[in-house]
Amino acid sequence: MVPAMKRIRPALRTFGTFLRTPTLSRSIIALLALAILLLMAVNAATFVMIQRTATYNDTVDHSQQVRLAAKDMLMLLTEAETGQRGFMLTARTEYLGLHENAVAKLPGVVERMEQLAVGDQDQARRVAKVKGLYRERLKLMADTIELTRTGRIGEAVSLIRNGRGKFLMDQIRVELSAVDAVEAQRLTERTRQSERAQTVTVAVNALAAVLVLILAGISVWMVRRYVAEIEEAHFELDRVNAGLENEVRDRTAELTRANEEIQRFAYIVSHDLRAPLVNVMGYTSELEQVSKALEQQLTSLEATHPELVDAEALRSVREDAPEAVGFIRTSTAKMDRLINAILRLSREGRRALQPETLDMTAMVRAIADTVSHQVAETGGEITISDLPAMENDRLSIEQVFSNLIDNAVKYQQPGRPIHIEVSGRQEPDGWVSYAVRDNGRGVSPRDHERIFELFRRSGKQDTPGEGLGLAFVRNIVRRMGGVIDVESELGEGSTFYLKFPKRLIMLGDYQGDRL
Amino acid sequence: MSHSVKIVMVEDDHGHAKLIEKNIRRANIANDIVHFDHGDAALDYLFQEEVRRSGPLLILLDLNLPDMSGTDILERVKADERLRRAPVVVLTTTDDKGEIQRCYDLGCNVYITKPVDYEAFAGAIRQLGLFLSVMQAPEI
Repeated sequence: MVPAMKRIRPALRTFGTFLRTPTLSRSIIALLALAILLLMAVNAATFVMIQRTATYNDTVDHSQQVRLAAKDMLMLLTEAETGQRGFMLTARTEYLGLHENAVAKLPGVVERMEQLAVGDQDQARRVAKVKGLYRERLKLMADTIELTRTGRIGEAVSLIRNGRGKFLMDQIRVELSAVDAVEAQRLTERTRQSERAQTVTVAVNALAAVLVLILAGISVWMVRRYVAEIEEAHFELDRVNAGLENEVRDRTAELTRANEEIQRFAYIVSHDLRAPLVNVMGYTSELEQVSKALEQQLTSLEATHPELVDAEALRSVREDAPEAVGFIRTSTAKMDRLINAILRLSREGRRALQPETLDMTAMVRAIADTVSHQVAETGGEITISDLPAMENDRLSIEQVFSNLIDNAVKYQQPGRPIHIEVSGRQEPDGWVSYAVRDNGRGVSPRDHERIFELFRRSGKQDTPGEGLGLAFVRNIVRRMGGVIDVESELGEGSTFYLKFPKRLIMLGDYQGDRL
Repeated sequence: MSHSVKIVMVEDDHGHAKLIEKNIRRANIANDIVHFDHGDAALDYLFQEEVRRSGPLLILLDLNLPDMSGTDILERVKADERLRRAPVVVLTTTDDKGEIQRCYDLGCNVYITKPVDYEAFAGAIRQLGLFLSVMQAPEI
């Protein structure tokens, strides 16, 4: 019982909440319940009416039978009288037969009347009276017949003349017509009742019909209002959505503008940095020329007049100046490379993207082929599993994968055969992910972020590089709406995880400059 | 190139101007070179009546000027019925394809990117010199 209550209680609580909360469904359910109640009431009323009509029909039948019995009795008595008189007048026995026939039927009729009058004191009293009267009347008739048969016709006639018979007959008529009148009145009464009941039934039905119609009307009105509200809400939602879309578009446009500005900034900076560099390199060359000229001059002077030549000056032109020029050259060359890198980054950011469906397996295979020779030299291999295709910019994705694979080869652990493994899979919600795993020298966990930064490198600086590759890769991946991550242990190898939307999402209308 | 052709150089970087001049001279071009480091001054000079009438010109134009873009000067020059005959050599650090295209659209005759590598730079200027030496500048 207790667990059952436990199960029922939440249901009851829900029901209670439902009853207390004024909602449309509650109102409609209430209306429907009311309509059903009304229909049930109408049904009950109709049922009662039918019952009552049946009862009425029974009583009508009863009354009719009473009236019929009364008529029968009067008719039989009259017949008996007719037979008696005929016999007295003619002394023919066929009249006697008529009389006897009627007399024989009378008790049955009287008994029927008695039965019909059971439970009706008035009528029973009358029937009892009639019974007494008719018996006396029959006795009188039997006496006259007997006198007639025995030839004492005169006695018989005087017996009739005293008027007792007529009196009895009149009494019987009065009583029977009273019985008849009562029944006739009852019939009228019942007919009137029945008519009233019928009127009530019709009225109840009509009222119920009207109420049901009103309830239906209210329901329709409520549903219509509800639908209107839903439509309104829908409209509102659409409007809000449109607003949201606009907002997103505005924000995207803002971001695109900001991005464009940064790109342009990088571009301008790199060009403006280049201009002074032209001077630095140009005049360094000029100085070199000058120092060469001086050196030649001093050398020839040394040959002819060594005493005039200052050893310090000679060393300056021969060693210090070329060394200084050399350092300036290397530095400017490096600066030029860095500027070019920034320029490239900015250009990559401004390049128009052309999304197409990429067969990633084939693409990575082609990239792997370019380094297969180096890999084979160490006795290693590149494994490429089936990679999911995606829709993206070919050039960008090629750069990403070739950078990662090049890095895997470039930063190999010396003395260990290179093993590179490229895998990929479909992700839920329209993403694809790829992983490039190597067994190279790895990256220390504290450098995991640093390796993606421009001009930053990690680990032993024994291979040439400007710290650009992964910065480019991350830049491209981000521009493609993707994510790049690294998992690596120093000396154990690295795994680069890439995740892209299956279809490249172009942000806004801006698709880069055609550079 | 005939001696009368005057070279108008618009270049805000004096170092570049000097290097360009040096290398042009090294290519044995001895024409007059008038140097301006501002767009305004260059336009003022170019649009003087006497300059417009005084004979053939060749304009060496840098695009990154402090007061205006070189393309503005190019536009003005190419819109002038007399000056537009003067050949314009754009000499700048920008190798932006869009910019190059725009210069040619505006009527630039030659576009040279200044290489940072000095040897290449000197080489480019010397070649420009050779080009100038065979070029016939129209009378304006």
